[in-house]
Amino acid sequence: MKTQLNMDKIAKGLGAERQGKVAATGGYFGAMQLLADIEARFRVPSGGGRPTDPAWTERRLLPLAPRTLKKLEEIAAKVRQHGGANLEPMQLAALLIEKTTEKLSEEDAEDLVRPKRRASR
Amino acid sequence: MVKKRRKPAGTRQRALSGGRKRVLVVLFVPSVERDGTTPIDQARWVDAALEMFGRVFGGATAYPKAKGVWRDDERGGVLVKDEPVVVHCYTTPADIQDDRSLADLGGFCRKMGREARQGEIGLVVGDEYFAIRDFGEE
Repeated sequence: MKTQLNMDKIAKGLGAERQGKVAATGGYFGAMQLLADIEARFRVPSGGGRPTDPAWTERRLLPLAPRTLKKLEEIAAKVRQHGGANLEPMQLAALLIEKTTEKLSEEDAEDLVRPKRRASR
Repeated sequence: MVKKRRKPAGTRQRALSGGRKRVLVVLFVPSVERDGTTPIDQARWVDAALEMFGRVFGGATAYPKAKGVWRDDERGGVLVKDEPVVVHCYTTPADIQDDRSLADLGGFCRKMGREARQGEIGLVVGDEYFAIRDFGEE
């Protein structure tokens, strides 16, 4: 659902001038953020091996649809092409899950478990 | 028969009061003054921005230095090149439209603009860019 914000109120409250719309979450800008995130967080483990986020200590099996895995492989390949870390598809999946989870509020979590209302008619 | 225990009403209210953190606020912390050459204490302003976002909106992330340019139209269109740090903060529609939160965020931007001698402080809220140029008096 698109968030409706009162931009005039925000501009007034900030003491700012509205300068127009931007696309801040997708496309090239979003991709650059992803690259920056990978470069900032990935480290080569002290015992050697593939660079990873040292905070990722848990391992789980994650079932995926083939089309999802294909998409992850394509994006990871593009990141490698653009000189980013040697990113594997499932590392990308972990990063995306983490970023999405950080955005979830308590309300979102409640929405996920809230029982669907039955039609009474 | 065992009665189901009901959740206290307040719990649900508390859980819902936060709302969805679906509004992205992006702040650009500059590396140089308006003259394009005098460095500012960027690390201090990044720390201060993170502290402000944490206090007012509950959290933020500062990304590594980027490369940026800004055209200073009040100085004949001279290009000011710098290495800004981009700070991201996800917040709720309610919080970003709250008068007090806006005053805190706007106040921080004006302070940074004034003390770091900027021509403009740029802020993206949701899908719109806001420019703060009037930094007021100290």
